[in-house]
Amino acid sequence: MEWKELPGCQNVTRRECDFSSAITEYYDTHHVRVRAERRKEVSPWSSIFEMIPYVIAQIGPPGIELQSTNGVIKIKVSPPEENQVRKLWIHFQYNLVIWENSSNAEFRSQSIFPTDVIDDLAPDTTYCLKVQATLPFELQEGLFSPIRCIKTTRKVNDLLCATNVSIFALNMEFYLHWNNQYKQHVSYNVQYLMGYLKKRHEGYSGEWLNVPGCENITDTQCNFSSIITATSGFYHLRVQAMSEYNKSCLSNEVKVDPLITNEIGPPGIKVDVSDVLLHIQISPPGGSESEVTRGYDDLSYWVLYWKNSSNNEEEIKMKEIKQTIGTLSDLMPSTLYCVKAQAFSRAYNKSSHYSKEQCIRTPGDKKIPLTILATFGTSLFAVLLVAALLTFGVYQAYNKIKYVFFPSCQPPLNIEGFGRQLFHSPYLSATEEPTENCSVIETIITEEVNQSDFKDYKHSTQSSRDSGNYSNDDDTSGSKVSEEMLEKEIV
Amino acid sequence: TMNAFGLIQIGLLLLCTTTISSLQCNHLPLQQRKVIENSLQLLDKMGKKFPQQCLREKMSFRFPEQVLKPRQKETVKVAIEEIFQHIFYIFSKNLTLAAWDGTVLEQFQNGLYQQIEQLEACVIKKQTHYFRSKEVNRLKLKKYFQKIDCFLKDKQHNLCSWEISRAEMRRCLQLIDKVIRKL
Repeated sequence: MEWKELPGCQNVTRRECDFSSAITEYYDTHHVRVRAERRKEVSPWSSIFEMIPYVIAQIGPPGIELQSTNGVIKIKVSPPEENQVRKLWIHFQYNLVIWENSSNAEFRSQSIFPTDVIDDLAPDTTYCLKVQATLPFELQEGLFSPIRCIKTTRKVNDLLCATNVSIFALNMEFYLHWNNQYKQHVSYNVQYLMGYLKKRHEGYSGEWLNVPGCENITDTQCNFSSIITATSGFYHLRVQAMSEYNKSCLSNEVKVDPLITNEIGPPGIKVDVSDVLLHIQISPPGGSESEVTRGYDDLSYWVLYWKNSSNNEEEIKMKEIKQTIGTLSDLMPSTLYCVKAQAFSRAYNKSSHYSKEQCIRTPGDKKIPLTILATFGTSLFAVLLVAALLTFGVYQAYNKIKYVFFPSCQPPLNIEGFGRQLFHSPYLSATEEPTENCSVIETIITEEVNQSDFKDYKHSTQSSRDSGNYSNDDDTSGSKVSEEMLEKEIV
Repeated sequence: TMNAFGLIQIGLLLLCTTTISSLQCNHLPLQQRKVIENSLQLLDKMGKKFPQQCLREKMSFRFPEQVLKPRQKETVKVAIEEIFQHIFYIFSKNLTLAAWDGTVLEQFQNGLYQQIEQLEACVIKKQTHYFRSKEVNRLKLKKYFQKIDCFLKDKQHNLCSWEISRAEMRRCLQLIDKVIRKL
């Protein structure tokens, strides 16, 4: 270590000295030591005092300028180190402590800008105040300025001034509203100031600019979206009211932090269904490439969905989706679901109102209709089969009964009139019938209807059929049947 | 005695770290990423490409990269506080010779200032729990920015000194951006 002599601290008789001029590096560690001298005698060196100028330095008091007007106190603070060439600090915050000059007065502490206005004070009252400079990040507080006392004036309520200045912002469209009770003609100028200018010590009064489109207007509202050119940064706004007599009045200021002041509007929602999945398509608030999506780059959506049944105790489920499309999968088939969505930004702790509800029904289970269909089909088929068989059986029985008891066949013409009374009885009795003595004249087998030769007749009719001489074509089937019937009876 | 005091400070700091991290200024890092992104874009936009004639005067300022290690929230927070406020102050005056786009410069300043104010608000909340420490990292960063400030003063804030400083600030913000993304 190379020790250097401190200028201004050699051969001093007091027990203190100012060595500020020797300090050039504020952020480096310095070591200091001292020893006493008396004539030729020299004491040993003291223990080493180690310090970093920046850390050890105490922030001095700031300067104050006060002005009392219209019930408020205007204050201008000048920083400690104001007239120094080399400054140790660059950035102060100012803390004001103010109280009423009366007994049992409450102390009020607030943060102020270098050029500021202290309002919300009682008129015609004496207030005392003091200001200190602070370094917030380093948690360092400076010495207070000397206390200054000042009396507030009466507050003149100028009706010309715009009152109730408020902001309404939706989807990054910013509107300023105000009221006015002035009875005569008033025109307004809306002015804005970029936030950082308030930090300037030299003031910013000349920095207020007119909002384009809100100059010399009579409307008590202004769309100032055009001046919000960046989403990061504050803006201050005020309304200047002007009367016909060139009188003007400035309203209170309002502060806008675009992404915090703004309200995010509800998103749009479209729902599609396939199987037991719901496909959600969300349209961002303000549109897909709007200032909203550009400003809140962490914009996400909460999708709420529930079964829409008459039972109002259905559980509402929620799913968070980060994109504008999502799928809901834990659903039941054949159920009516309703869905709504809400946009939100975690970084700015903001959420929108809900979108409109969309309800849609999931299709039924494919398996169930098949089983039902199969069961139905089989049973239908079985029933039809049984019915058909039954009908057929009944029909057959009916026919047989009808034939037996109510035959519909006609006897052949040549025996038609014969024995009519014989056919009335259900049974054919072998009654005696008049016979003729017949003899075979020819060997040709002819169709001689011979009562006694019924058996032969049967044979002859069969063979004569082949020859084609047989002329009973019409009655063939009928007679054949009846033959068989008769034969059976005879036998 | 200084050392004992220092140890007590460190001890209290460690004790208070858990309290600090649970406070509500946790949403700030999300916003900071955006501010840094915006600031880089605006730094590019405010002027033209680096003039060739200024290459001769280029200086190495040696950003103290060790202040960003370890890659923890606390170290990065200190670095951001210092970087934002110093850049804000450097770019707040004597800019006539730089001849940059005034509107872009305003937006740049406004964005930085908003973040500084928010960071200050978060610090104030912690004041009752925190204990002032030496914070060597802060001092290293202050030294770095002081070098740039002195450089600008020496060159009387001429065009080349401003362009060199602008390039340096860009580098600085890019370093912070990389670290923040990895947190």
